[in-house]
Amino acid sequence: MELVQNFPFLSIIIALFSGPLCSILGSRWARRVNTAVIALIGIMSAAVLAYTLRTGESYVYQMGHYSAPWGNEIRVGQLEAFMAVFFCAVMLLCMLGGRKELALEVEESKQNLYYVMVGLLLSSLLALIYTNDIFTAYVFVEINTISACGLIMIRENGRTLEAATRYMIMSLMGSGLLLMGICFLYDLTGHLLMSNIQEKVAELQAAGTYHLPLLISICLMCAGLAIKSALFPFHAWLPDAYGYSTLSSSAILSSLVSKGYIFLLVKIFFRVIGFDVIRESKMINVLFVFGILGMIMGSISAIQENNVRRMIAYSSVAQIGYIYMGFGLGTTAGVIASLYHILCHAATKSLLFVAASGLTEASGDRKDFFSLTGAGYRNRLAGVAFTVGSLSMVGIPGLSGFISKILFAQAAYETTHRIFPALIALALSTILNAVYFMKTVIRIYTPAARAGIQVDGRRISMGEQKQKSAALLCFIALNLILGLFSEPIVNLLTQGLAMFS
Amino acid sequence: MNAIILPVLVLFPILSGALIPLLPFKNRTHMMVYVEGAVLVNSALALAAMLNRPETEFILFRFTSNLTLSFRLDSLGTVFCALISALWPLATLYAFEYMKHEEHEKFFFMFYTITFGITMGIALAEDLVTMYCFYEMLTLATFPLVLHTLTREAVLASRTYLYYSLGGAAFAFIGVIFILIYGTTPDFTAGGVLDLAAIGSRTNLLLLIYVFCFFGFSVKAAMFPFSGWLPKAGVAPTPVTALLHAVAVVKAGAFAIIRITYYSFGTEFLRGTWAQTAVLVPVIFTIVYGCSRALKETHLKRRLAWSTVSNLSYILFGVALMSPAGLVGALCHMVFHAVMKICSFFCAGAVIYRSGREYIFQLDGLGRKMPRVFGIFTLAGMALMGVPGLCGFVSKWNLVKAAVDSQNPLAYVGIAALMVSALLTAIYMMTIAVRAFFPAKDPKYTSEELGTAAERTGENEETAKDGGKTGVSHAVVPYEEVSDPNWMMLLPLCIFVIAIVCFGLHPQPIVDAFEKIASAMS
Amino acid sequence: MGGWILAPIFLPVAVGVCFLLPLGREKVGDGDGKALSRLHILTGIVLALTAVAALLCAWTGDRSFTLLELMDGIPIYFHIDDVGRLFVTVISVVWVLVGFYAFVYMKHEGKERRFFGFYLIVFGVLIALSFAGNLVTMYLFYELMTLTSMPLVLHNGSREAIMAALKYLFYSMCGAYLGLFGIFFLYKYCDTLRFTAGGTLNLTLAAGNTTILMIAVFGMLIGFGAKAGMFPLHAWLPAAHPVAPSPASAVMSGIIAKAGVLAVIRVVYYVVGPDFIRGTWIQTAWMTLTLLTVFMGSMLAFREPVFKKRLAYSTVSQVSYILFGLSALSPTAMEGALLHVVFHAFIKSALFLTAGIFIFQTGKERVEDFRGFGKKMPNTLWCYTFAALALIGIPPTCGFISKWYLAEGALEAGVGVFGWLGPAVLLLSALLTAGYLLPLVTNGFFPKEKAAVETQAGDPPALMLTPLVILAALTVLLGVFPNPLIRFVSGIAASVL
Repeated sequence: MELVQNFPFLSIIIALFSGPLCSILGSRWARRVNTAVIALIGIMSAAVLAYTLRTGESYVYQMGHYSAPWGNEIRVGQLEAFMAVFFCAVMLLCMLGGRKELALEVEESKQNLYYVMVGLLLSSLLALIYTNDIFTAYVFVEINTISACGLIMIRENGRTLEAATRYMIMSLMGSGLLLMGICFLYDLTGHLLMSNIQEKVAELQAAGTYHLPLLISICLMCAGLAIKSALFPFHAWLPDAYGYSTLSSSAILSSLVSKGYIFLLVKIFFRVIGFDVIRESKMINVLFVFGILGMIMGSISAIQENNVRRMIAYSSVAQIGYIYMGFGLGTTAGVIASLYHILCHAATKSLLFVAASGLTEASGDRKDFFSLTGAGYRNRLAGVAFTVGSLSMVGIPGLSGFISKILFAQAAYETTHRIFPALIALALSTILNAVYFMKTVIRIYTPAARAGIQVDGRRISMGEQKQKSAALLCFIALNLILGLFSEPIVNLLTQGLAMFS
Repeated sequence: MNAIILPVLVLFPILSGALIPLLPFKNRTHMMVYVEGAVLVNSALALAAMLNRPETEFILFRFTSNLTLSFRLDSLGTVFCALISALWPLATLYAFEYMKHEEHEKFFFMFYTITFGITMGIALAEDLVTMYCFYEMLTLATFPLVLHTLTREAVLASRTYLYYSLGGAAFAFIGVIFILIYGTTPDFTAGGVLDLAAIGSRTNLLLLIYVFCFFGFSVKAAMFPFSGWLPKAGVAPTPVTALLHAVAVVKAGAFAIIRITYYSFGTEFLRGTWAQTAVLVPVIFTIVYGCSRALKETHLKRRLAWSTVSNLSYILFGVALMSPAGLVGALCHMVFHAVMKICSFFCAGAVIYRSGREYIFQLDGLGRKMPRVFGIFTLAGMALMGVPGLCGFVSKWNLVKAAVDSQNPLAYVGIAALMVSALLTAIYMMTIAVRAFFPAKDPKYTSEELGTAAERTGENEETAKDGGKTGVSHAVVPYEEVSDPNWMMLLPLCIFVIAIVCFGLHPQPIVDAFEKIASAMS
Repeated sequence: MGGWILAPIFLPVAVGVCFLLPLGREKVGDGDGKALSRLHILTGIVLALTAVAALLCAWTGDRSFTLLELMDGIPIYFHIDDVGRLFVTVISVVWVLVGFYAFVYMKHEGKERRFFGFYLIVFGVLIALSFAGNLVTMYLFYELMTLTSMPLVLHNGSREAIMAALKYLFYSMCGAYLGLFGIFFLYKYCDTLRFTAGGTLNLTLAAGNTTILMIAVFGMLIGFGAKAGMFPLHAWLPAAHPVAPSPASAVMSGIIAKAGVLAVIRVVYYVVGPDFIRGTWIQTAWMTLTLLTVFMGSMLAFREPVFKKRLAYSTVSQVSYILFGLSALSPTAMEGALLHVVFHAFIKSALFLTAGIFIFQTGKERVEDFRGFGKKMPNTLWCYTFAALALIGIPPTCGFISKWYLAEGALEAGVGVFGWLGPAVLLLSALLTAGYLLPLVTNGFFPKEKAAVETQAGDPPALMLTPLVILAALTVLLGVFPNPLIRFVSGIAASVL
């Protein structure tokens, strides 16, 4: 066994233990440790990715060399490694971009706690990505929920407490459903390791027995994860949670946390149940319908929203809808499109959150549209970044959104009856996206003086906030990379997904 | 000629445009020389490329193995390329004079020049994806131009423009992906690229996708019910309305529809299907609808914009006939309408610029003060009406010839619509000319009516100083002081008039060239 | 050789355009006495030269000339045939006479430079229209005629005049585009658009498409009929004529309305061919419309108190006589129609010139104001009397001859109920004509009561009176010696039927 094969396990452990370590450090050191840990894990994951690319196959890592069914396993393939790298990168940038807000909005004494939460969150995300054991997955789902809750309410004003409570309730409901699903599955198959379950499910399917319980189990797991990832109509908690928490939290929650659950769902589809079984179950139609509804309704809510942060949050609802719509197409191409959209959305949404905060900062910290008038001139980089993010969301060629739109449309064409609902929903949702994003872009580039609006903003230069500027630039670059050089990434996703089954 | 010239044609204006706000120009003249120089150089290069057509394609960039940004100058692209590279330098010249008193000139010329490159990209695009990319970029590069004055009206107009355009592109996108999957090649090929074997029995699907795609692209071509943005976008400075919203942008929509109809889906397959009916009906309706709205409109530029709506549907009508003859008619009207409409818009712009009057009821008697401008306007109006001997007749003749040949009852209705539209055109263009040359009342009296001379003038001077900032339109000039504009405005107008007459009297070479393009279809 | 055709076309157009160009002397011709007489002399010379050139071109052999190829197979082509000769002669005579009349008349309207500019241009265009050798050429000059004659209508610049001019423009354009609609179809289904006696319709090509073709042809009849004041597109005439200066109304009624007739002749007899129309619903509908117009025009004229408006309605009615003759599709009726073209041109111009003299001398426009003027301006009223008698159709004036032929043609045409209904309506209309024209004569010479307004006005200057006298004399002379003319038109009718 090569050293690099240990890295996934190590990175989970490092992240997990960086938490307690941070709790005893001062906020500054905690921050340094945290940054270093994320960077280190990113590098390690990159090494793992390189290794899997070289070998061209996945491997199973048995913890403590106990073999199944008693041991706990980690499974590493290209897809997992790539997701780990990507998540680390986005998380690093989110932390970087929101550092100033964190310092301002969170009490000095509690800042190290924030890093505790981030460490736990990272470790749970990594575990969700890597684990080969469905119960382990459940455990880390819970850890994830708790740390995410912490991230929301650390700002400690009324709205975040309320938001965190809501989030907690919804999330726990989701976890409960997930747990019930897992129980059903365990009952049916007698296994918790994913590969074993899959074999067993195939047997059941061949025998034609236990059809209904299996279906119920699938439904419960899907519903649970859908609630947790804020699929329409379970999105009520989302706007508040994303809209009022501190910047890094919003960015991380929207771009990573919900994506972790979705990635787990993909794993359940491919590694636990088997995609053929999923396809035969009616659950996929449900996901499709709610995905499409989410695409439309999320955007409509966003159009009606007057607070820019909440608008972006609602936009997340729409984007999650895209992802579920991709699942609902019921083809591998659809899932790949969804996976790509996870990347694209993570890169774009965090960009938008950070840019929006730059703009609101230049407008006297007011988040309503009126106050944003002309903000693009006061904070030029944030203006440009927001425009890039918006254009990407609208699907302008050259940016990441365009590629995922193409992938979705191509996937839709492979189906028979879903072509039109999917294509029309894509087109409509593009229009709706254009409506609220471009409205904002025009708003931030309308000089306040000419519009006759008094704004107590101030000018913010690029050098004034080096970290945020750097984060924005990196996000823009990430967007461009995803938009311009998508082919290797799509190939990687395809191969990785092929390794799943 | 080497194919490397093609990306140069696209990128050179984009880059030189992007440099404008960065370069330290000493004064306005330097910037004028730079902009005009860049545009002229590009037009010259385009001319060289057209005379010496490079045979090979040039791949600028690969998104993925089958998604590329690639350029090729084919015969249809040449038409559009020639059109824009002929009009752009003239329009730029005109814009220098017109924009004299406006603020943010640098940004204006930046986007104006960038748009040249992007439009060129549409003309030179080798495949549907490239065209789609530039199509989207065109929206983005032109909406700041609509926004230019930054008044509330302009903001609303640019918003509407964005929503319509991006929305249309979203639907067109469906068709783009369809061709990507079911086409034998993504490149444009005369006669279509559909892999009929792969489609099998799903013909209705194909037709539905085509209709979506047609409607999507027709947003830029301002077909009813997607025409609302065009008249609103008239708040932009006149050079923008004239060049972009009468030629470059809207013709890009028509051009895209030609591309998908004749070069991607293929007319063999579409002709005679319900899809043809589905696109012909709104097109024919728009022909009449645009004209009737123009008739009702009292704002000079908006009237011309509605007229554009109607005339663009002439082009689409030719396209939707789905025969080579129809393509000839469509191309004729694409080129000729461009010349006629830009000419009328420039006249309108000159009137607004010199007299500050924007509404038609204010134009009484101005023909005596600006005889050249209004003379040219009348001529352009006659061309639009389709008086034989001017170029409008040629395109109308070719369109109708194709319609008669098609023996499709709906096409006959289309002919009737064209005639009704011609009549309405006569009404809305000639009333302006009559008003200008044969005023009903004493024009001096009218000017007093516009603003009690002395006090209003004083007020206007204030707003004129402030005019740049608030972005209000030009102040009303007293009747006595109105006169023809200077050579920078008149030169383009004269060239257009010469073109209108020459094309009208001797159109055969051009029509022959179009027939050659169309003959490749069958 | 054929190029000489262009001389009478371009000479007046070129001079007219020069009049219109500003050339920095805007005031010239508008009031300045010396310049004004220069303008008159120049106009007179050009008018005479053009007329001479046109007549020379027309009557010295068959000529044809292709100016340029507008598109493949669509040349701008001129060809002189007998119909063209007939029209160009009438046009030249009336145009020159009315032109001289206008020198005096326009003094009180002003802006003579503009008026004569357009007057000359329209002259050239009309000559080109008569010489046109194919349908597209004709259409071109037809449209130009509309556009260039419109300024004659709105000359006085009142809001009413402008509205009337626009109405004229739109009705004419509407008609022209209906015509163009048909031209497109004829281009497809005819061997050539060149005028050929008897028509060029290719029936084998047209087989199966006759319905749309018939609709198109009927559209052309309605469309070109608009200029000729045929119902349903007649409403511009009563609006435009009263507000135009009298010389303009004279030529509008006498000549320009005939351009519509010319177009109808060309379409029916020279492109489509009478055989395609005979016996179809087109002929029925067309005859119905013409008879309706004849009757309606007379009735409206009868009720109309404003003199020039009355004459305008009269034109509506009379030109439809001609169209009725054409619609019968029989040689005799066509002869009658062509004769009426000539006669009505002279008669109606004379009547409008009379009206102009009244207005010029007294400023009065309504019929009842003309009481007792026979004493003051006897020469004028005598001319009017002759012209009126001719229009009613009382021998030996010319109107009698044309109406005789029209009635006879209708009877022998074999068109069923129209064979007797047509002559009956013509007769009724003649009675009405007498009813609306003759009271002026009786009141003028024998007023029952004293004139409403006393005025010193007498007969107008010689330059005004002479054209009127010539025209009135022509109406009588042609009635007394009609034979050469009848021979000529029967030659035309024989060639096409």
